[in-house]
Amino acid sequence: MAIFTVHVIIENKPGISDPEGETILNDLVLKGTSKTISKITTAKMLKFTIKEKDKKNAEIKIKKICDELRLYNPVVSKIEIDVFN
Amino acid sequence: MSLEPQELSYLKSKIGREPSSTELQIVAAEWSEHCSYKSSKKHLKMLPMTGPLVISEKGYDSGVLDVGGGYVITAHIESHNHPSAIEPYGGAATGVGGVIRDILSAGTRPIAIFDGLRFGNIEKDKHARWLFKNAVSGIADYGNCLGIPTIGGEVEFDDCYSNYALVDVAALGFGKKENLIKNHANKGDLLILMGGPTGRDGIGGSQFASDLLESEDRSAVQIPDPFIEKLIIEAILEARNHKLINALKDLGGGGLSCAVSETADSLGIGIEMDVEKVHTKEKGMNPEEIMISESQERMLVITNKQKLKKLQVICKKYNIICSVIGRVTSGNKMHVKKGKKTFADISTEIVANAKLLDRPSKIPTYLKNIQKEKKIATIPNISKTLMKLFSSPNIASKIWIYSQFDHEVGIRTVIKPGQDASVLRLDNGKFLSAKIDGNPKHCFINPREGAIGCFEEACRNVICTGAKPIGMLDHLQFGNPQDPEIFWTFLETLKGLTDFANYFQIPCIGGKVSLYNETSKGPIKPTPLIGVLGLIEKNPQISQKVEPGDCLVIIGTTKNELGGSEYYEYIHKFIGGNCPKVDFSESKKNMKTVLELINKKYLKVVHDCAKGGLAIAASEICMTNQIGCNISLDKVPHKTQEPERVLFSESHSRYLLVLKQKNLSKVKSIMKKNKVSFGVIGKFSGKKIQFNKEKKSLADVSVDKAEKIWLNSLREMVLVG
Repeated sequence: MAIFTVHVIIENKPGISDPEGETILNDLVLKGTSKTISKITTAKMLKFTIKEKDKKNAEIKIKKICDELRLYNPVVSKIEIDVFN
Repeated sequence: MSLEPQELSYLKSKIGREPSSTELQIVAAEWSEHCSYKSSKKHLKMLPMTGPLVISEKGYDSGVLDVGGGYVITAHIESHNHPSAIEPYGGAATGVGGVIRDILSAGTRPIAIFDGLRFGNIEKDKHARWLFKNAVSGIADYGNCLGIPTIGGEVEFDDCYSNYALVDVAALGFGKKENLIKNHANKGDLLILMGGPTGRDGIGGSQFASDLLESEDRSAVQIPDPFIEKLIIEAILEARNHKLINALKDLGGGGLSCAVSETADSLGIGIEMDVEKVHTKEKGMNPEEIMISESQERMLVITNKQKLKKLQVICKKYNIICSVIGRVTSGNKMHVKKGKKTFADISTEIVANAKLLDRPSKIPTYLKNIQKEKKIATIPNISKTLMKLFSSPNIASKIWIYSQFDHEVGIRTVIKPGQDASVLRLDNGKFLSAKIDGNPKHCFINPREGAIGCFEEACRNVICTGAKPIGMLDHLQFGNPQDPEIFWTFLETLKGLTDFANYFQIPCIGGKVSLYNETSKGPIKPTPLIGVLGLIEKNPQISQKVEPGDCLVIIGTTKNELGGSEYYEYIHKFIGGNCPKVDFSESKKNMKTVLELINKKYLKVVHDCAKGGLAIAASEICMTNQIGCNISLDKVPHKTQEPERVLFSESHSRYLLVLKQKNLSKVKSIMKKNKVSFGVIGKFSGKKIQFNKEKKSLADVSVDKAEKIWLNSLREMVLVG
């Protein structure tokens, strides 16, 4: 068994609007000097520390937790899971 | 998205040719149950909709009441049930946005929001808890971002809403009568689309709301953006002040299809529009998608060439995109083009007026035996029952919900949520009291009497603040109307509401019908939700602190009416029995008496008896004032004997009054003069809530313990499970 850090990024699916990201872009960033930026999207990240056999199992376990406990709504959001040693 | 075969042939016969695919989509959106009211429209006419205070104009999405001094209030109610059942946060939030734009479209500023929520059993069902928690935060986030207070509402949990949610939102607006938008348009006027870009989100929402919720339809999810909504509110109100708006319509269910066809039909004009001019979120959207998209935060404005410049300056100031998408033509057609190519050219009279249906109805078989009474075993210890009821999600304090809402922003809220009704201060020196009420448990047992009961309860609540009811909103929610038994319950509900409205001369100023509310276990219980607005000329009844020695008086008769009560359903798990019935003449007498006593300033607290009956209503007064009370059931005017029935029966037209001992004789003489049944049933003191009958103690609970359970159990249920 080893300790892994798992990052879960929850973000809107493509095509679903992101008012928070758009507001940051239009009302803050583009009003400043950074004119080269064309898109900002927001996301939420959960950081887990988990004891598991290997990376693969850690990912499966975390995915299961996210789905079962509805830590995100699969209708509007998608998740990305990254496992670190 | 499609039309029924007979609707398609009706359409063909009306236009005398094959419709184009864009026309088909436009008509399917507009002829959906959600937009056309095709099942209900014929019958809704029975409700009284006029009165001395009612102002009606062409094309209003909200009801308007004249409150004197040159001011008006507007009110509307909407639901967002199907979207909220899939994505509770976004569904509930966009529901708030939609109803607020209805208020705005009359040219008034939204000043308050109410929410009526229904979920499954949150004690057992994790999914129901998830829906509940997220719907509440959706409403809170949206309303709070807009700076509009959410000042009241009601919640009910019932197994019939398993895996489903009813999210109803009502909104109130306020403004000067002279600023009301008088919708009109002349040939050559311009059609402007203001607000957020049109995207693929929410494609086919209204059609989806009219289908059964069988599979998750992802594209019908709408994403809320309260920041744009706030800017739209301010921009529209500024444009209104400069008289730049000839006509105004909010884009809701059915998107541009409905907004354009309904505006054209109600104003008797034609509209020519180009979908290429519509600002979109993504490239490559086809004309059909643009016409039926239900992207949120959009308004349709009709103005003329002279005013356009000024309107564009205002939109620029608020950073809102406004696109000129078309113009008003003579005739009555909506002509949809993309560049030079025509995609639809069809009479708006046909689009906006679906063929109304006369659906069959039949008394449901389940009603045959449901009113049979249950013989209840006398419970040895009512204290325990009482404590259990305090923790019932339907009775427990809703503070966990309304503490998430900003209910004070705008500084109008004089009486805040948690009381019988909330009260807002108006600029003309008067006060507006409002409440929404529902009771699906009663309505299931007796759809007609249940609906009347909801109406009376909402009236009672505004009466408790010293207000005279002046208008009503109805939101009628049922299952599939193609089932004659369900349609029968709809008709009975409507007839009951009509009778009550006529008797009390309270006009219906707005409403909504939501059908096809079905879960995997079957249809929901009949769920009418009634909002009542009341006007207070001078002083609202603001509760004063109850002190030792104060008297508790009950007005109204307690009957053997435990059917649909929290006591039967939560304690005994029994659905059935006598549904409470409103006696119209008793109800009127009691209302008049309570208002007279309030106006004479004899009362410290006025509270209505509703869910949980006398036992809960009296305990609520004790808990909110942290004082005990010794209550004798012998003095309660009743038509039933068993103490449980006197304590927990949910008979209507009952009020609890708290007053100083020294006012008792004056209060008594007014009650006698008005011939109401009443009893002086208790005296406040100490720290215990006690109920006695014939000198025998029935229940004896500590106020502090009761309060702790009552205040915290809902929050614990949601957060801890």
